[in-house]
Amino acid sequence: MRKNSIFARVYLSFILVILYIPIFYLIYFSFSSGKNMNKFGQFTLSHYQDLFQDNRLLAIFLETILLALLSSLIATIVGTFGALAITMVKKKAQKNTLLALNNVLMVSPDVIIGASFLIFFTALGFGLNFGSVLLSHIAFSIPIVVLMVLPRLNEMDFSLIDAARDLGASGYQVFSNVMIPTMLPGIAAGMFMALTYSLDDFAVTFFVTGNGFSTLSVEIYSRARQGIDLEINALSTVMFLFVLVLVIIYYFLTKRRVKKGKRMIGGLIK
Amino acid sequence: MNNKKARAFFMIPYLTWIILFVILPILLILWYSLTDSNNHFTLNNFVTFFRNGTFLRMMLNSFWYAFLITLVTLLVSYPAAYFLTKVKNQQIWLLLIILPTWINLLLKAYAFIGILGNNGLVNKFLQLFGIGPVNILFTDFAFMFVATYIEIPFMILPIYNAIKEINPAVIQASEDLGASKWQTFRYVLWPLSWPGVESGIQAIFIPSLSLFMLTRLIGGNRVITLGTAIEEYFMTTMNWNMGATIGVVLIVLMIIVMLVTGRRQKRKKVNL
Amino acid sequence: MRLVAIFIFLGITMKIIELKHVNKRYDDGFVALKDINLEIESGKFYSLLGPSGSGKSTILRIIAGFTNPTDGKIYFDGKDITNLDPAKRQINTVFQNYALFPHLNVFENVAFGLKIKKVPMDKIKAAVRDALHMVRLDGYANREISELSGGQQQRVAIARAIVNEPKVLLLDESLSALDKRLRKEMQFELRAIQKKLGITFIFVTHDQEEALSMSDEIFVLNDGKIQQNGSPVDIYDEPINDFVARFIGDSNILPGRMIKDYEVEFANKKFQCADAGMRPNEKVEVVLRPEDLDITSPEKGKLVVTAQTQLFLGDHFEIKAIDADENEWLIQSINGCKLNERIGLYFDPEDIHVMRLHESQEDFDARLESYEGDDENE
Repeated sequence: MRKNSIFARVYLSFILVILYIPIFYLIYFSFSSGKNMNKFGQFTLSHYQDLFQDNRLLAIFLETILLALLSSLIATIVGTFGALAITMVKKKAQKNTLLALNNVLMVSPDVIIGASFLIFFTALGFGLNFGSVLLSHIAFSIPIVVLMVLPRLNEMDFSLIDAARDLGASGYQVFSNVMIPTMLPGIAAGMFMALTYSLDDFAVTFFVTGNGFSTLSVEIYSRARQGIDLEINALSTVMFLFVLVLVIIYYFLTKRRVKKGKRMIGGLIK
Repeated sequence: MNNKKARAFFMIPYLTWIILFVILPILLILWYSLTDSNNHFTLNNFVTFFRNGTFLRMMLNSFWYAFLITLVTLLVSYPAAYFLTKVKNQQIWLLLIILPTWINLLLKAYAFIGILGNNGLVNKFLQLFGIGPVNILFTDFAFMFVATYIEIPFMILPIYNAIKEINPAVIQASEDLGASKWQTFRYVLWPLSWPGVESGIQAIFIPSLSLFMLTRLIGGNRVITLGTAIEEYFMTTMNWNMGATIGVVLIVLMIIVMLVTGRRQKRKKVNL
Repeated sequence: MRLVAIFIFLGITMKIIELKHVNKRYDDGFVALKDINLEIESGKFYSLLGPSGSGKSTILRIIAGFTNPTDGKIYFDGKDITNLDPAKRQINTVFQNYALFPHLNVFENVAFGLKIKKVPMDKIKAAVRDALHMVRLDGYANREISELSGGQQQRVAIARAIVNEPKVLLLDESLSALDKRLRKEMQFELRAIQKKLGITFIFVTHDQEEALSMSDEIFVLNDGKIQQNGSPVDIYDEPINDFVARFIGDSNILPGRMIKDYEVEFANKKFQCADAGMRPNEKVEVVLRPEDLDITSPEKGKLVVTAQTQLFLGDHFEIKAIDADENEWLIQSINGCKLNERIGLYFDPEDIHVMRLHESQEDFDARLESYEGDDENE
């Protein structure tokens, strides 16, 4: 038993080391004065100076966050509506068709989604700009919201609705006082997922973004294709710290719920 | 009555999304694959695809690489997921494993340009043993290595959840009935954790077909997978009809793979 | 197998499992077992009885091999098996929630142990058929586990264990998930299966009725220690201390004082009793079982109490009453009484069970032994 648990920890530590080496490698060289990631020159903060004076990058950073917030918000609304609509459909065949269509974008490779959206926008004569990217992000985030909200609705005790009706609640009151609170954890999880989908996406955005608009992922890609630029390393450090803070906040917010026996941490993964 | 109105209210935006962003794009990509650049109906694109050895080789390559990436990820992740269910402070370990997934994929890929380079970390390490420098960057191996690296957490999580769901008494029951550690794994743990393995495979196999950015950044800018080919035709050579054709082939292959893996074996009946 | 049968027939039993000075302390510091010594003989039905946290399940897990004792030794047929893998012990377990393999059907579940041992398929089929017949599940071989009721799952779990022909079968709270009627039925059946197989059953339960009705011998546990062991009748009639008295059956327990041999004082009165061998004026506790109390007129009663509540339970009345010192009395009687009525309680001297405070099992046994000696002298 003892031996086993030591081996377990050694193996897990090994995995963690592998997972973190690239990140710390980037951070390490972000303080190097050289031009490459081969040899550490002298300690310098000049890459950070460049980063914070790079107005283009800062603008893209803000736009990426705006895009994520906006797309996840709209996707959450449409997705929640979709989950409600699916629960209200009584015929099994119709329900299964809707669920199958819902999952098409979940299982499609990103390149296919990107390419087909590109065709779609072009065919409709829709310009490739912030709008096309926003619509795409909304589109690929909706199914995950549906999948997060649906189990909540399926678990819901429908006698609650009858009880509310019985106590004189109107249709709207039932919706806002009974249904919404039941769905809320699912809605929150769905929105969270939509947010990470949007922040994380590269492939779809790459297809549907025009010259006028870029997200952080696309920008990093185009810079990385031109070779090593230690400003990107500085950006990595900043983003790592940002994520670290977010995760720590998330961890402490959910810690109490975790203690009640729910596994919330799984929600952190895309 | 009221219910019907409510249903319509919720259904309309959702259905609009399904029609515009699910059904229409599929039809459009199909349409493009069946037409030439002058919008005339043709099967030439498919003829080109299946006549041309390069495409077929690329297709096999794509699936072979996706298979290898998935397999190696599984081999690395399964023990990790299993051990994760055994250690103390599981939440912290989980958090540490999930954290890297939150760092932008492109940044991680970028890091490997440095790590795998001729003067990078790996070659410095190899030099300690008097090997190298080995040319790793811009090879197919580099592509698969980085892809595996990126997918590991996505495999660990579902397997961890599946193992966590297993009643520990079932494992003890197996030992109680005389099964060795290996037999317990083979006949109890593995089949019971299969749903997690399955969703891990699904979460990795399909996306690894579309990692064109990795082939561009790490794999040496060569077109080695169908994902890269689609990107090439849409973004570089602008031959959308051929790109759409490759897309359709990819979709069909995926459907076949899913149908084959999704089939359940029927149990034999015994007569006592 | 035949040898065991002969021994049972001759009334000779063999020691099959022995725990010597077993202690168990968990990683979090919780001490589950304190110096447990017990002997299990072959062919008998044992119960480990105690409240949750008393250590009964830990003993079972140590015998099965899922947990190693912190110190102490376990012997099986005289061989030290303290560190032997569970897979290598000739012991099988029926788990609390059955722990059936959800991905296997009934046949595959029962056949599991035999397949592991690479028994030929035709032999497996025959053995599974017999085992399913033993638990009265003929014709269920191809059912999925999820299609079975709780009682049927229970039977599959038993079949899965006994098909391996273990020398000892461990049952961990095995009936607790069943409803009351089914549980009664399974009690009879378990006992019948045990008799038919002639192997040792060790049954862990927190339900005293279950333990009393099925066992040849009971170990009562509390706080990681064996409080008392003996036949159900012995334990019921002569509880060693107030824990056992309270835990097994309903009891009226009162503080008292031994005046001299065969005379005890409690509730401010002196009574003839059957106990002796204690110091004069020694403080003791006295147990009176509610069913030993008869209702009579206040004049004829040895004690006078006032009835407060009365429940009719079908075959008897259960009456709560208080005496002049505000002691509560529980009475089970076939006769009812009027509420707030003064009634007399009558009981025989041997219905008074006197318990010494902190008496060890050895001293307790010796004392009981001496009474039996007295009986023969009379």
